[in-house]
Amino acid sequence: MMSILIDILLAILLVYLALRSIFAPKLSKTVFTFFAFGLILALSWIRLDAVDVAIAEAAIASGFMGVLLLDSLRDFLSVSKEDKKYFEETEKIHSIKLMYISPLKKFLFGAGFLIFILISLSAIWDVPDGGGLAKEAKAMISKSGVSHPVTAVLLNYRAYDTWLEIGVILMGLWAIFAAGGLKQFRKVRLKSSHDPLLRQVILIFTPVLFLFGGFLLYYGKMGPGGAFQAAVLWGAIGIMLHLGGWSVFTILSRRVRYLFLTIGLSFFLIVGLVLLSTGRAFFEYPVEYAGLIILMIETMAAISIASALMTIFAFLTK
Amino acid sequence: MIREILIILLLGIGCFFFLAGSLGLLRFPDLFSRLHALTNADNLGLGFIAAGIALHFASPWIAVKIFLIWILTLLSSATSSYLIASFQREQNIEIKKEDG
Repeated sequence: MMSILIDILLAILLVYLALRSIFAPKLSKTVFTFFAFGLILALSWIRLDAVDVAIAEAAIASGFMGVLLLDSLRDFLSVSKEDKKYFEETEKIHSIKLMYISPLKKFLFGAGFLIFILISLSAIWDVPDGGGLAKEAKAMISKSGVSHPVTAVLLNYRAYDTWLEIGVILMGLWAIFAAGGLKQFRKVRLKSSHDPLLRQVILIFTPVLFLFGGFLLYYGKMGPGGAFQAAVLWGAIGIMLHLGGWSVFTILSRRVRYLFLTIGLSFFLIVGLVLLSTGRAFFEYPVEYAGLIILMIETMAAISIASALMTIFAFLTK
Repeated sequence: MIREILIILLLGIGCFFFLAGSLGLLRFPDLFSRLHALTNADNLGLGFIAAGIALHFASPWIAVKIFLIWILTLLSSATSSYLIASFQREQNIEIKKEDG
């Protein structure tokens, strides 16, 4: 009874906060409602027994995205009055007129939307009884090298997908590098705060986060955790140090930085190729070494993802 | 039996402090007093709730973990409210400069 009440409350709050966040009159309200939305979403994932997703949601979607959103909010605050006038004038000149949409397009759009709704409804309606491939996944877990089914799926059964995901993060980084030159706000350089209290607290948090990240990395073997969750915590260290005025990444030479960024993808690939050369399938680990290989891949991937998050933040806020 | 009463008492006191903090956030006139209400009351409330939950589980390891969570939350909430307040103070000084 009690748990149903909590679930209903969470569901209502989720939709309410999403709507509030979209329709908020001020940009700052949107950002802060988005934080609350992320928190409720993480709680909902915990209620659904998906602690892995909850950690990732809280850390990446709410934490990392939140920091980026807050930073862009600060950019908007620093826009001066002359800038504002300039933007408003250019907006008047280039204002987008409401497009004329032909009836055929309207019909096609409506039909497509209806089909989308029907497909979604049918997907919700017929939940497979067998639970998909869960039985097979559980049956093979003793050969996967880990005891947590999510990690087994991500790093062993479907390692190819995870490898590509790490590649996607790297691609995102490249895209940001490519588009980063377009930044037009931030004409006034904000003085970075070197608040002594903030710096001290960051120094206290740094070892705690590092330890907790390492714990999550290792714990992924037998419970919710793993490379992505650990990487976000490690990335958070870099972001906090950056905010405190220590430029972490510029200390390292360019080559080392690029090595850090690509080591996850390349190590994963090397493991796959070595396995291919011994006559196995691409990511078919030998059973006796599977646990060790997965831990090594996860460590390298965590280093890469953490460096990517750090680099994205440092690049966007420089 | 006594333990359960203690747990309910601790959780109740914790909820009371959270309620008071939220009321302060809604009712107080400016940012500084709101921050004051929120951080003081909520940190205390969280402490009571943490103590209640630790007593509920009655395991030393879980108690240590919950205590650590409380300490880290104290640190981060105190720092963040300090940063918000100092940012607001700088803005106020700038506004005064522009006016005067």
